[in-house]
This record gives sequence, C-alpha cells and structure tokens, in this order.
Amino acid sequence: MDQREELERLLCEHPFFRSMSPELQREIADCARSERYNAGEYIHREGEPADRFYLIRHGSVAQELRIPEQESIIIQTLHEGDILGWSWLVPPYRWTADARVMQLTRLIALDARCLRGKYADDPQLAYELLKRFIPIIANRLEASRLQLIDVYGEPRHRK
Amino acid sequence: MGPNEELGRLLGEHRFFEGMNSGSCDRLSECATLEQFKTGQYIFREGSAADRFYLIRHGSVVLEIHVPGRDPIVVDTLQAGEVLGLSWLVSPYRWAYDARADQATEAISLEVTCLRSKYDNDPALASELFKRYIPVMADRLAATRRRIIDKAKESRLTREVK
Repeated sequence: MDQREELERLLCEHPFFRSMSPELQREIADCARSERYNAGEYIHREGEPADRFYLIRHGSVAQELRIPEQESIIIQTLHEGDILGWSWLVPPYRWTADARVMQLTRLIALDARCLRGKYADDPQLAYELLKRFIPIIANRLEASRLQLIDVYGEPRHRK
Repeated sequence: MGPNEELGRLLGEHRFFEGMNSGSCDRLSECATLEQFKTGQYIFREGSAADRFYLIRHGSVVLEIHVPGRDPIVVDTLQAGEVLGLSWLVSPYRWAYDARADQATEAISLEVTCLRSKYDNDPALASELFKRYIPVMADRLAATRRRIIDKAKESRLTREVK
C-alpha cells in the first residue's frame, strides 16, 4: 500500500471523517500528511500561525495555557481519536494554547490552505467540515468552563 | 411592511448576519422574535433548555457561572451587536451559564427547531450560519480562558505539570 492509500485509509477510519462520503474523504486526503512527535515536544505554541489541524492517531497531547510568572495550566489533555486545533478556522488564525506532547504521538496533519482551496467552491464540503468542528470547539469551551470553576475554587491569596 | 419583513430587515442589520443575502434573512426571520428584558432580568439560567439564541440589539448581558456560597464568576459581558447563546448547537442542549440583562436590553431571539427546519436540507445556509457561529464560540472560549488566567493570577495558583 503506498503512502497516499495508507493516509486515505487512516482518515476513513477516523470517527471525524467516517460518516463523510468517499468523494469528500478523497478530497481531504489530498491535504493530509503523517507526523510524529516525541514526549516533551511542542506541536505548536500559543500565538504561532494556525495553518493546520490534527487527528491524533496514537499518544496524548496537553493543551496548556501560559500564566505570567507561573507554571502553565493544563486545560485539557487530548488522546487517540481526538481532533487537535480549530484556530485555522477563525481570524487571526493563531493558536490560542500550547500543545505539548506527553508521550510519543502520531498524528495526521491537515493543511488549512489546501482545505480552504477545496471547500471555497464546495458548500457541501464546507458544511461537513464546519458541522464537525462546532462540537469540538464546544468541547474546548466546556473544558475551559470547568477549569475556570476549578481555579476559582482554589483558596485565594495563598502566601 | 409585514412583521416578518420587518424582522428580516432587523436581522440583516445585525453584525452577525452581515453579508448574508436578504433572501436568507427573510427565511430566518420566520424563526425570529423581538424581545425586551429589564435590568436584572435573567434571559436564561444554567441548566435550562437551550432552544434559541439571541442577537443583542441594545443593552448588555452578563454571562456568569453560579458558584454555591460564593459570588458568581462573571465570564463575559456582551454588548449590542454581539450574539448570546451557544448551547443550542451541541448536546445536551442546556445553557452552560446564567445570562442576566445588565441594563434594559433588546434582542432578536431565533428559535432553534424552526432554524433547523430551514437549514437541514440546505448546506449552503447551514454553512453560512456555522461559519458565523465558529468565531462567536472562539470569542467565548478566549473570554473564558482570560478569566482562568485572571483567577489563577489572583489565587497565585500553581499546578504541577505532569
């Protein structure tokens, strides 16, 4: 099996894409490539250009928020099967958190410019993609809301 | 001008629907109601059914999280031109925050069952809505995270990075 077929197979198996038509899956596979990161590496840092998103195939990735003069807070940890990254959808197209690899992680990266080129003229593809990102962003929002309550619950003015 | 045309025009005036064609605004206006809220009135409470969203025309709305035995956490304050309500988009379709009118507020509410009936078989209309909603969600996420950072700074919280 060549690399392209392998990527297409991996995409089709992923819950994010499984329910899409084979035509759309093939379109999206044009924008995909495999990546691998070791524990401790950053996939991206807050503020960097967000020009892609990822399907996590194996491993886990911590989403961290930097706090001035303190250690970062882990807002959420993403695992196998999760989608990493939505900032490519929203101006100014910059990552809003750090993504730090917690163990050897393999991902499929999807290039944003390539995807936009595909869906600019294809409302069905735009719809299928946007529809799937809404629950993902909602999930990040819920994780942040819980984190906020958690932080608020900590004793204040600890000296 | 009939009530729907009037609402269609009001929808088209709101920043959320900027650039939307007037035909789509007119169709969506069938799901719209103009609502007024008094200062201090709750527009919705956390946990209740999220069956609509609101385009704020005048006034302002505070989003807060109720914490038993403590002051509520203010997550964000929304002004005229902003959108209130995300929870109708995702299961379990329950509000995640309390929304309280901070002053006399006028908003157009859009009822969700009606909206879905308009966009379910119309991917172009659905994309238009979702494309507009994603930045609203991103704003709310950014506001929530700013509050996390504020609170963490306040409490000098440090957390072990595992």
